[in-house]
Amino acid sequence: MLGRTAFRFIVIMFVMVYAGIALGQDGLQKYFNDASVKVKATTDPSQKREILNTSFEKMSKALGKVQSSPLVSRDDRAGIELFKATLQEKQDELAGLNGYQRVSDEQLDAFSDYVVQDMEQADQKITISLVAALLIIIIIILLVA
Amino acid sequence: MLLVGVGWLALVLFLCSCSSIPPAQRVSPLGEEGAFPPRYSIVFIIHGDDGYLYHDVRGDAYRADEKTLAKAKTVAQRNPQAEVFIFHERRRRHFLLLFPRRDGKFYYYRHGRLLAEESYWRDQGDSRFDPEVELYHRYRAQGRPDLIKFFLYFGHEIPEFGGAGYDASYSKRTFTVDDLADGLKHITGDSTKLDLIVLSTCFNGTPHTIAALAPYGRYIIASPDNLHLSYFDLDSFEQLDVGLPDGDVSAFAKTFAGHAFDRLTEDMQTAVTVAVYDVDRVRGFLDAVESVYDQALTTLKGQTPATIEHFDCADDPAFIRPGMSEGVDVFYRPPRFGRWKHNQSHSGWECWRRREQPSVTSQPLEPIQK
Repeated sequence: MLGRTAFRFIVIMFVMVYAGIALGQDGLQKYFNDASVKVKATTDPSQKREILNTSFEKMSKALGKVQSSPLVSRDDRAGIELFKATLQEKQDELAGLNGYQRVSDEQLDAFSDYVVQDMEQADQKITISLVAALLIIIIIILLVA
Repeated sequence: MLLVGVGWLALVLFLCSCSSIPPAQRVSPLGEEGAFPPRYSIVFIIHGDDGYLYHDVRGDAYRADEKTLAKAKTVAQRNPQAEVFIFHERRRRHFLLLFPRRDGKFYYYRHGRLLAEESYWRDQGDSRFDPEVELYHRYRAQGRPDLIKFFLYFGHEIPEFGGAGYDASYSKRTFTVDDLADGLKHITGDSTKLDLIVLSTCFNGTPHTIAALAPYGRYIIASPDNLHLSYFDLDSFEQLDVGLPDGDVSAFAKTFAGHAFDRLTEDMQTAVTVAVYDVDRVRGFLDAVESVYDQALTTLKGQTPATIEHFDCADDPAFIRPGMSEGVDVFYRPPRFGRWKHNQSHSGWECWRRREQPSVTSQPLEPIQK
C-alpha cells in the first residue's frame, strides 16, 4: 500500500513539474496566439478591437500583480517593466494614442499577427524567469475564470 | 515487492543513463557508402534548449528547433554530393525526475544517406562545443581539401558578453560569440576557412560578432535586427549541385539571403533584416570601429538586459565611416506596425546602447522616421 502511494506520488510530481515548466515557458506566446485566432474568427472590427484590447489589459493587470510579488527578483521586475511598456505601445497604436496612427479596421488581423510575432523573435529581450512567467499565466487564468 | 521492483528498475535506468558508451547507431559502415568523396560539407547546430515555440498565421504551433531539424534532414537527404553533420542541442530531461538523459543528438549523412545517429552529453569538456568538435572530426571525410564548407547555427541571439542562461538546462553555464568562434576554430583546424557561415539568430549582425567569426569564414549571413523563430528558409540548400553549380559561394550567399528574406516577408509583420557580409571587404570597417564598439560593450557589461538595447549603428555618428556599407548586402523591410515602421533602411550593422527608461504612463511617443 505504501509502495503504491509512493509510486503515485512520484508520477503526480513528475506530471506536475513538467506541466508547470511547459505552461510557464509557452503560456505567454499561447495567450497572444489565442487572442489572434479569436480576432481572425470574427468579421466585426469593433469586436476585433475589443478582443485585442482586453488581451492587453488582462496581461498588463497580471504583469502588475506579479511585479509587486515578493517571489520575483529585481531583474524580473525590470524585465516585466519593459514588457509592460511594449504592451502599452501596442495598446496605444491600436487606439491611435500617444503619437501613433490608429490601426485601421482592415489591418486588425495583421496587427494581431504582429503582436504574436513580436513575442516570438529569436532574441531574449523579454527576460523574465520561469517562475515569473508561470505566475503571470496563473494570474491570467484566474482573471479569466 | 513493488518497491524492490521499482528499485531494480531505477538502478538499471541509472546505469544506462550514466553509461560512458555512446548509444551510437551506425546505419552503415563508413567507407561503404560510395566510392566518390563528397563535394560539400554542411554543419548544422540547432539550439533547442530554451523556449522555441512559435505560431504561423493560422495559429498552428511549432517548435522552431524541431522544424529546423526536419528541414536539415531534408537538405541532407537531397544532396548526394554532400556530407552533413546535424547537432541538435536539446533540453536536459530526466527520467522519473532523477535520471538524466543525454541532451544532444547527432546525425551524420553522406551521399544523402544517414550513416550514423548518436546521442551525446552536451556538457562534457572545457569548451562548449568540445563534444560536437570531437564528433565532427571522428566522422568527417578525409583527403578532400577542395570541399565547399558551410556552417549554420540556429538559435536565440548569441550573446556578446555575459551569456549566462542561454541554455534553460544549465542556467549558470555561459555561451557567447567567443565560444562559437572557439568551436569554429577547432572545426576548421589548420585547414581552409569555411566558405559560408549562417547565423539564423536575432541581432548577430554586429561588428563584434562578424569580427570574431571572420578568421573562420569567407562569407557570413546574419540578421542585424530581430529575426522571427521561423528562421531563414533552407530551400536554397536543397540540391546544391543545382544551386551552386560553379562553386560561386558569393552569388549563392546572396541568393540564399534573398530567398530567405522573401519567405520571411510573406508572413511576418515584424521587421525582416538579412545581411550578407563579405569578410575580406568588411575588414576595413571592422578595424575602424573596433575600439569604439568594444568600449561600448565594456560600458554595458553587468547591466541587466532590460536596461540595454540594440540600434542601427548608422544612428550613431561614432560608428559612421566612409566604408560602412562596403562588403555588406542588406535585405530590409521595416515592421508593419510599431515605432519603427517608417524606417526605410538599415546599414546592416547593429550596435548597443543604454535604453531610455521605459515609461508606461504618459510620455507621448512620436513614431520614429529615418
